[in-house]
Amino acid sequence: MDAESAKLIAAGICMGLGAIGSGIGEGFVGGKALEAMARNPQVGDKIFTNMIVAIALAESTAIYSLVISLIILFVF
Amino acid sequence: MANIPEINLAPDVLTTIGPVPITNAFLATLATSLILLIIAFIVRRKAGIIPTRPQMAFELVYEFIYEKMVMSFGDEERAQKFFPLIFTIFLFLLIANQFALIPFIQSIVTEDGISLLRTPTSDYSLPIALTILILVIANGLALMISPLRHIGNFIKFESFFKMKSIKDLPMACLDFFLGLMDIIGEVAKLASLSTRLFGNIFAGEVIITIITGLMFYSQFLVPIPFLVLSTLAGLVQAFVFAMLSIIFISSSLNGVRKEESPA
Repeated sequence: MDAESAKLIAAGICMGLGAIGSGIGEGFVGGKALEAMARNPQVGDKIFTNMIVAIALAESTAIYSLVISLIILFVF
Repeated sequence: MANIPEINLAPDVLTTIGPVPITNAFLATLATSLILLIIAFIVRRKAGIIPTRPQMAFELVYEFIYEKMVMSFGDEERAQKFFPLIFTIFLFLLIANQFALIPFIQSIVTEDGISLLRTPTSDYSLPIALTILILVIANGLALMISPLRHIGNFIKFESFFKMKSIKDLPMACLDFFLGLMDIIGEVAKLASLSTRLFGNIFAGEVIITIITGLMFYSQFLVPIPFLVLSTLAGLVQAFVFAMLSIIFISSSLNGVRKEESPA
């Protein structure tokens, strides 16, 4: 297979595998946050704000795979 | 197929002053600093004891970041020392991430057809530069205060000296090994902090470019959810960058703090 198609396949696989862990992790964070908000609705706003920050952190590894796949597509 | 414009990772070089290339992301960084200065002068001129509305907005953001800093650093004096640095980075990133919202900004082109301004954080150099600044401050200050204790946080020999019997040897070796892994952790901090910021903003731009280039009809209502997502991501990533830099600096300085100081 030539380099062009290998590039495209590599970019697709890279991003696809990276998104698995991020989806599972963020689902956990969201689930636990909802549970905590249901248990104690008064601090619901604080929990929501911290949940957004935790989601941004859990997204990090998926963003690394995204950057690698973009580099594969547009630089090489 | 569709006419998707060229997306390139590295920004286009406009001119060269001596050995330094001036890219379009660099011009956008200057423009962002100018916007910040203008906003600062406008808000400051009418500020007083009874706050005006822009002043109240800024004081909200000030309190927000200041409380988190006092929680991390422990005492107010240290939080005051580092506050200008962190707050400047936060405000700069807040404005710089939203360059895609300014209409017609991409249409200002030079004669080669490359656009004159580009989102500053979508050039990989800017997040790397900010991250290097934060990490040099964190480690450099710790080294200046007490070099032996800072290096001793990474290469832990005292776990070998505190062994009382031969059964403690595996634990001591594990402590030593984990201390060495912390060095790799520092390098990982560099990669992760910069790539998180860059990836979010650059990916937002690429998605909008591709979607508007797909069909003529997909230019009108279809990019809206992606623009909203990109804006939210810009706000959250600015905040996460500021918070993580607070945590890096404070944890590095707390590692060399004198243990016998009274509360």
